[in-house]
Amino acid sequence: MRYLRFTILIIVSLLLVLTSIPALAQTYYFSVDEEYVQVYLESDGSMRIEYIYVFTNDRSASPIEFVDIGLPNYEYDLSSIYGWINDQPIKHVAHSELVSPGIELGLQSYAIQPGASGEVKASIGRVEGVVFDDYDDPNYASVRFSPNWYDKQNVFGKTDLTVIFHLPPGVQSEEPRWHSSPNGWPETPETGFDADGRIIYIWRNPSANAYTQYIFGASFPRNYIATGSISKPVPEGEFFEPSRPSGITSEGIFAFLCVGGILLAFVGFIALAVRSDQKRKLAYLPPKLAIEGHGIKRGLTAIESAILLETPLDRVLTMILFSVIKKNAAQVVSEDPLKIERITPQPEGLRPYEEDFLKAMIDEEPRKRRGALQEVMVSLVKSVQKKMKGFSLKESRNYYQSIMKKAWQQVEEAKTPEVRSKLFDEGLEWTMLDRDFDDRTRRVFRTGPVFVPIWWGRYSPSSAPVGRTISTPSTGVPSAPSPRVSLPQLPGAEFAASMVNGVQNAASSMVSNITGFTNGVTKTTNPPPPPSRSRSGWSSGGSGGSCVCACACACAGCACACAGGGR
Amino acid sequence: MKNPFHRSNDPKEIRLRPGLYGYTHDGAAERSQIHLRVETDGRGLLLINANRAVHLNPTATRMAWLVLEEVPEKDAITDLRKRYHVSAKTAKNDYRSVRDQIDQLIRPEGACPIHDLDLDLLPPFSEMPSAPYRMDLALTYRCNANCSHCYNSRPRNYPELTTDQWREVIEKLWEIGIPHICFTGGESTLRKDLPDLIGYAKSAGQITGLLTNGIRLSDRDYLMSLVRAGLDHVQITIESHIPEVHDRMVGASGAWGKTVQGIANCLDSDLYVMTNTTLLASNISNIAETIDFLAELGVPTVGCNALIYSGKGKTVGTGIFESDLGPILETVRHRTTSYGQRLIWYTPTQYCHFDPVQMQLGVKGCSAARYNMCVEPDGAVIPCQSYYEPVGNILQDTWDSIWNHDLSLWLRERRYVPDECQACAMLNECGGGCPLTLKHQPEQMPMNQVHLPRTIAEM
Repeated sequence: MRYLRFTILIIVSLLLVLTSIPALAQTYYFSVDEEYVQVYLESDGSMRIEYIYVFTNDRSASPIEFVDIGLPNYEYDLSSIYGWINDQPIKHVAHSELVSPGIELGLQSYAIQPGASGEVKASIGRVEGVVFDDYDDPNYASVRFSPNWYDKQNVFGKTDLTVIFHLPPGVQSEEPRWHSSPNGWPETPETGFDADGRIIYIWRNPSANAYTQYIFGASFPRNYIATGSISKPVPEGEFFEPSRPSGITSEGIFAFLCVGGILLAFVGFIALAVRSDQKRKLAYLPPKLAIEGHGIKRGLTAIESAILLETPLDRVLTMILFSVIKKNAAQVVSEDPLKIERITPQPEGLRPYEEDFLKAMIDEEPRKRRGALQEVMVSLVKSVQKKMKGFSLKESRNYYQSIMKKAWQQVEEAKTPEVRSKLFDEGLEWTMLDRDFDDRTRRVFRTGPVFVPIWWGRYSPSSAPVGRTISTPSTGVPSAPSPRVSLPQLPGAEFAASMVNGVQNAASSMVSNITGFTNGVTKTTNPPPPPSRSRSGWSSGGSGGSCVCACACACAGCACACAGGGR
Repeated sequence: MKNPFHRSNDPKEIRLRPGLYGYTHDGAAERSQIHLRVETDGRGLLLINANRAVHLNPTATRMAWLVLEEVPEKDAITDLRKRYHVSAKTAKNDYRSVRDQIDQLIRPEGACPIHDLDLDLLPPFSEMPSAPYRMDLALTYRCNANCSHCYNSRPRNYPELTTDQWREVIEKLWEIGIPHICFTGGESTLRKDLPDLIGYAKSAGQITGLLTNGIRLSDRDYLMSLVRAGLDHVQITIESHIPEVHDRMVGASGAWGKTVQGIANCLDSDLYVMTNTTLLASNISNIAETIDFLAELGVPTVGCNALIYSGKGKTVGTGIFESDLGPILETVRHRTTSYGQRLIWYTPTQYCHFDPVQMQLGVKGCSAARYNMCVEPDGAVIPCQSYYEPVGNILQDTWDSIWNHDLSLWLRERRYVPDECQACAMLNECGGGCPLTLKHQPEQMPMNQVHLPRTIAEM
């Protein structure tokens, strides 16, 4: 009795590749000595597949590091899949990068080396959507299965290939039918029962090869599996159609026919056994190098922050000058050329760079003074480099920029001229970090009076106005009578101009040639940056407006303040 | 033993497998030893001279390997393009960027990795390695000194592995991926096979160091035998510039003279030399003068640590409370800075008591069973030199069972951190301090309320 059945092919392909080997001169050459495949058809319509492969890698070939297994569809449960290499569990089981749908087994340290053999086992616990209506008998369902095959140029030798179908539980011996066997195989499979009493079909060919596609199939009454699990066949010709096997009749124990004449409704067919280089490519993630370290380096002074923020050296020099004058450690005795003298007694708590600065300024001979000040700056830069070791430059810069902004914000939001002047004085070293310091100072003090800080007289004795007695800013809270101090007062615009000019000119008054001074520093701490133009507000008075960058990054230690180049 | 170095410029042989790769870079006036550890997931760890660790994602790992293998750029780009979906332009730009970064990283005086190279910054102790960076090999617990504060908890006659067994240990450590070995004890110079073992580790590609009291190094010939074997660096313990103080602390009359001679001999060699001084009540009163003395000797790097609460250290009673360390270290730092010496502080402390970061000493946290471990004379592996609870035997147990032993995980995952520390902003760096201190010095428990120190920059 012959039945012509419509059957659905489920082809499962195993692809063998080497992932980590770029194909500069890849060689894939191996034999599949043994391939043992068991296909379990379950009552719920799912399929369980178990593979055993014995590979022998040729001595001249690349290591076998990955085994990819194509699956019939995406309805597989990755968590149900396990692999073993030489009985050692395979840790890397993932969706295949090359076979879609499919999974990959990374052999990792158990990669099969050239000249070596290895046994790979895989258990795919659950694949759904693999049973289809039988084309010829509406009461039957059918399944077809093809083990993988490989590119002929990559494999050699014979393969002892065994394929075993375990039919759904309950199928009776007279009900199922096998499909015709592939050419060169015994015409009928061996039949029997497995340990669970399920009918099995066994196809075995000890002289098969690993580069030919072999298709096996079986049909059985559809009532043995869940109704909803059987899929409709896809019209003939719409998908891949392999050669039509001829129907044959078997007189075996079950004496049923398996049939070809077949439309193969199967989309995910994988024909390649070895991943091509193109398919093998991985998604590119940009290289990333990282190092453990801190984030923000807190605790730098405003002057140290200036180095960090790549403030021009003339500005840094001015900041130090203002700092020692504010601390009452020195006062100007001559404005041009700038000369200062120490005030005794010296205040406590001077920073090392302030001490060094005062020593350097003692020398009145311009060249010697410039050289000494250069040493001050070199030491300062190196000190900051050391302090920054292991900290994030980016985050630290942002942090000190935020302090500068906060200082400005306080000044700009002040309600009275007194408070504004007081806050400006307190935060001057931070606001001087601002590249827009000059213009912003002019804007802030455009109107209204300014109460000039006392120390300004020590910096610019010739411009200090006559002081008059005024009240310190009130907090608005009635309390004890405010102390009365004497502060000089100027129109805001006049003070702003004075301050800006002071900031711009102080450094050039100290070292005369700002560019030369900067070069003298940077040639020690960093390859000299090319001179460049300043941004607005950064020109140095008296030096022709050229920018002198504080980019004095020595970069030797691991904590430079900046990265070179004029700004 | 298989050749641990995989060096080939032949594109036909390009392959990258998980494991440890060693390289030596000879610059104009500098030499660097570089190790690339490739993990099974493709990520990598680049270790430069065993003290700078750079973490690489898989792409960077592959590029680093191509760079270190000195594969011609054209072949390297071809390799990358055949492996990844990437344009030639991107591959070339990225490869060149990585190459330039590595060129700088491997130079001792190269660019700053954070500021110049703009490497990503990871929080301290955020990366979990697959194996330590360094393994201390306590070859013997025998010692020619008898320090009153010694952390050793074992008897001096503790069983010892044979030379062949130590060789096997060294070989296994390479396979595990550990590029740095420090020979210690006890006093490892009492093992006659020390030069042999140094040479064996060196031939395997590992960086070798020696932690010693320096007494035997007073014999210049002996020292040179270690140098010839391939010793890279040495750390010599000296407790004071005053001979009597030193000899009393180390329990050996006449030791000071030999130790100082040993230091001098080492300084006269090509070794990287540093000293170490344990800051105790017995020696801190003259610590400044001790630093002066070391500077006069020409010691370039000075190490200091606090008492380790292990062995005799638990009862010696001369330890300094962490909260009292600040002024002492300030003195030491001031002196070493003025002499241009490098100061290395070892001891993990609770930052609420003593913050090494604010002292510019760097982040110090417990690195036991994370960055370093120790093999005892009988092959047992302990989390660190001072934590005498074995987590397995290097010759008998699998590395996985050792590395993932409950105690290893307990330390590595910082499960010992007191509840009081959990809300602290500095916990990531601090890690709760030394677990041994926590265990044996409960009075040094962390403060309940920890505040980040205010700084001058805070307005």
